[in-house]
Amino acid sequence: MRVVPGWLGAILLCGFSVVQVAAQCPDRPVPGTVVNDPLNLTSQNGALNAQLVLAHSVDGSGYTHYCYNYSANNQVFEAPTLRVNPGDRLALNIVNAIKDDDEMKMAMPDAGKGCGDGGAMTLNSTNVHFHGMNVPPKCHQDDVIHTLIQPGSLGFQYNVQIPLTQPPGLYWYHPHVHGFTEFQVNGGAAGALIVEGMEKIRPEVAGLTERVFIIRQQFLVPWIPGPYQLSLNYQVAQAIGGSKPIIQMKPGEKQFWRVANATLQDFMPIQYQVNGKPQQVELIAMDGYPLAQTRLTDTILLPPASRAEFIVQAPPQGSNAILFTEDYSTGPTGNPDFKQSLGTVQLVTNQGNQEASHMPGASAATSERVRGSDLASQQVTAKRLLYFSEEFGGTNGPIQFYITVDGQKQKVFEPNESPAIKTKVGAVEDWTIENRALETHAFHIHQIHFQMLEVDGKPVANKDMRDTIEIPFWEGKGPYHSVKVRMDFRDPNIAGTFPFHCHILLHEDLGMMHKLLVEP
Amino acid sequence: MLEPPVLLWSTRRICFAPEGPLYMTRFLKSQLLMSAVLVVGMLALPGLAFGATPYVITNDDSSFPSTGVSFYSVAANGTLTLQQQVATLGVGIGGGFFGASRIKVIDGPQQPCVYASEAGSGSIVGISINTLTVGGSANGSETDSGASNGMGLASNGQFLYASYGDSNTIGAFQLESGCSLNFIGDTSVTGVEGGQVNAIAAHENILIATYTDGTIESFTISGGVPITNGDKQISTATVQSKDATYPNSIDITSDGHFAIFGDTSTSMVVEVSDISSGKLAKTVVQKSTASINSSNVILSPDETLLYVINTQGDSVSALFFNRKNGQLNPGCTSGRIRGHSVNWSYLAGPALINQKGTGGGVYVAEFGVQSGIAMVKINVSGKTCTLHEVSSSPFANPNSPGLLSIGAFPPRSF
Repeated sequence: MRVVPGWLGAILLCGFSVVQVAAQCPDRPVPGTVVNDPLNLTSQNGALNAQLVLAHSVDGSGYTHYCYNYSANNQVFEAPTLRVNPGDRLALNIVNAIKDDDEMKMAMPDAGKGCGDGGAMTLNSTNVHFHGMNVPPKCHQDDVIHTLIQPGSLGFQYNVQIPLTQPPGLYWYHPHVHGFTEFQVNGGAAGALIVEGMEKIRPEVAGLTERVFIIRQQFLVPWIPGPYQLSLNYQVAQAIGGSKPIIQMKPGEKQFWRVANATLQDFMPIQYQVNGKPQQVELIAMDGYPLAQTRLTDTILLPPASRAEFIVQAPPQGSNAILFTEDYSTGPTGNPDFKQSLGTVQLVTNQGNQEASHMPGASAATSERVRGSDLASQQVTAKRLLYFSEEFGGTNGPIQFYITVDGQKQKVFEPNESPAIKTKVGAVEDWTIENRALETHAFHIHQIHFQMLEVDGKPVANKDMRDTIEIPFWEGKGPYHSVKVRMDFRDPNIAGTFPFHCHILLHEDLGMMHKLLVEP
Repeated sequence: MLEPPVLLWSTRRICFAPEGPLYMTRFLKSQLLMSAVLVVGMLALPGLAFGATPYVITNDDSSFPSTGVSFYSVAANGTLTLQQQVATLGVGIGGGFFGASRIKVIDGPQQPCVYASEAGSGSIVGISINTLTVGGSANGSETDSGASNGMGLASNGQFLYASYGDSNTIGAFQLESGCSLNFIGDTSVTGVEGGQVNAIAAHENILIATYTDGTIESFTISGGVPITNGDKQISTATVQSKDATYPNSIDITSDGHFAIFGDTSTSMVVEVSDISSGKLAKTVVQKSTASINSSNVILSPDETLLYVINTQGDSVSALFFNRKNGQLNPGCTSGRIRGHSVNWSYLAGPALINQKGTGGGVYVAEFGVQSGIAMVKINVSGKTCTLHEVSSSPFANPNSPGLLSIGAFPPRSF
């Protein structure tokens, strides 16, 4: 939504005094150049050990960057792709190198018992959420409610045990400090996390050239939902002069594209167009979960935080191909999401400039079923109705963004609140989530995938497993739009307290979020 | 394939009032011509005193470099033509609370005046409607400030009041000749739970205020500076909704019997309080899912209708009102007002199309990149009604970067 809360305005009035840093972000790619995949950090012998330094700087154009820096061989790489296998341990040391010299920084109430450095949630504190991963919501794993890493500390060690049942696919990591998530993601603090093994579930990807594309969004006026730029692997997608990111392919080549919508709030109907026409792609997985079967489609709607993995085929020489996002209306009070090209395919006869990685070759398909694939047949233990709503008392606020469990008080999230929902390990619940606002929202729940059952009361053709789903805006008349999803709380691994929220990050920061407690 | 520009989301426009001798010469000529036409036209307008030029007036609320008040002439069929912006030299803020009216039109015994608040500079300017010239400007105390969300205005015909949300004060100004003002003092206020003062409305000796925490409160103003009546309370709808609804704008019936509150809500909520005792009674709630957010309300001249501006629902509703018992009954809701999410984001302050009977409908401020004024007419037949936006609507306001408050001259009689 296009509103600026008073406290955010106060930050702006402070100017850039709040964004001085100790470490700098690397230069971003020059527009109109070949798009490279992020650096890969791959687990060895069952573990991936790495250190990422969260830095912060202002570029020559005055835009604020946040970045996860990985240093190796006297070079700094931004937001590497973390590659793990089911059963691996991800040992990630996060150092917060943001210079903490802001006397006017804003703070949110803390969440009580701390994890990490504790203290207040501020513009300069951070933590990490492993989006979509079915890992424990516990300190040093995927707890975002209590974990804080403050500037100046030696770092915070994440030791994330990847479940053996983790579906192979594309996930991502990003900061998740309540009240300030958007600030850091806006500057680019986000990266890909890949759980290997997709070729074992979907053999059609075996041996293909693999591309990892992270689409980010930066508000040009820092943190204000207004003019923005999209980028593809940090390369501005619509640069002045018309330069576009270049994606190299061989004529007729099939590639496996793994695309993450790491934007702040952009709903993206993704297309692969050839000569201006959307092409059928082979959709393999959504939100890190392999589809029950490969699906042909010419448009994939990615709400903010969602991911799609699909096979595209390069056209013959002489054709023009692009990665494209279509227009998307988020409703009368939502920001319009405009169509634009995200990258242009350059047909090359050799390998080109890109150091391509390839999916492993064909191997015996796993005999194990993917986690949650039996969810549709499970006994439902509870049904719930939740709804999104908004109200505005003025153009500058007071603004309230709510997600509410029906029957409870509409209120914004507070870190020290009691869980809005309590359930137990073993539960299987059907949730209907309505949108009573005039703006489309993106529902996300931590720790689990959910299964799509119905949209607007009608059964869906494809009961995909997702971790983020769009719920269209209410038109002002008629029934509210809704989705019905099946929540899977059977895994004892996810016992604990974790949030569900809108993944429009401003909404999340302003409290469109609550907690869920899964008791052991 | 069409592609958008690099900047994918346009910022607000800031426009400037035309100034200088050339403009003034053209303006005077057009003024003379227009006057001749209007003399004929305005005689045909119902409820209009002979000789008075009707206007719809906007507080342009521009934050840079200065702001102004725009006057639209009103044709016999109600369509508007931007006639002139009176530059006021103060500074607005281009936004703020929906329900706090930043403009007050007073058809006083000496001359009609319009007062406009300029929250950026903290000033209130008075403009003579007869001459379209600034009569005076006044500020409250040094600490009075509404710079974040605007300054609401109200008047009982003797004093003008301004609500300052940042300082949480209500200032009182003596109305003086020539549309000038004299600050006489202010009162510190706050909501039950610390809310900021928002909208205000006055009738004879009572002033009513809303706060952002759902509080409503009345004051005695017989002595000029408001003195609380000790009836500060959280509204019924706020309590029922567990803080998810709160009163925003206020209107008061002509006999001072009822105060009506338009609520900020995720649905349409209006509250009515009996104030015949001189204090606020517990409010009675009227809810509807016909639309979203009812931050602005205005009674029709005959008090049979309450117009509700659905701030986020991009529509206008009307409820049937019984002035004897304060009861509201369902009426009608318009279709979507044109231009929502393209030219503008919110509907805000209303003004009546005419000042007798049902009022004929409302003009409504459209807040956004291309601010304007919508014209929504009503047809009433027995206990049913219809509302529709006229084909010539909206009427652009290039002078405002974000229009929230409009008024009509002549004003409603109460």
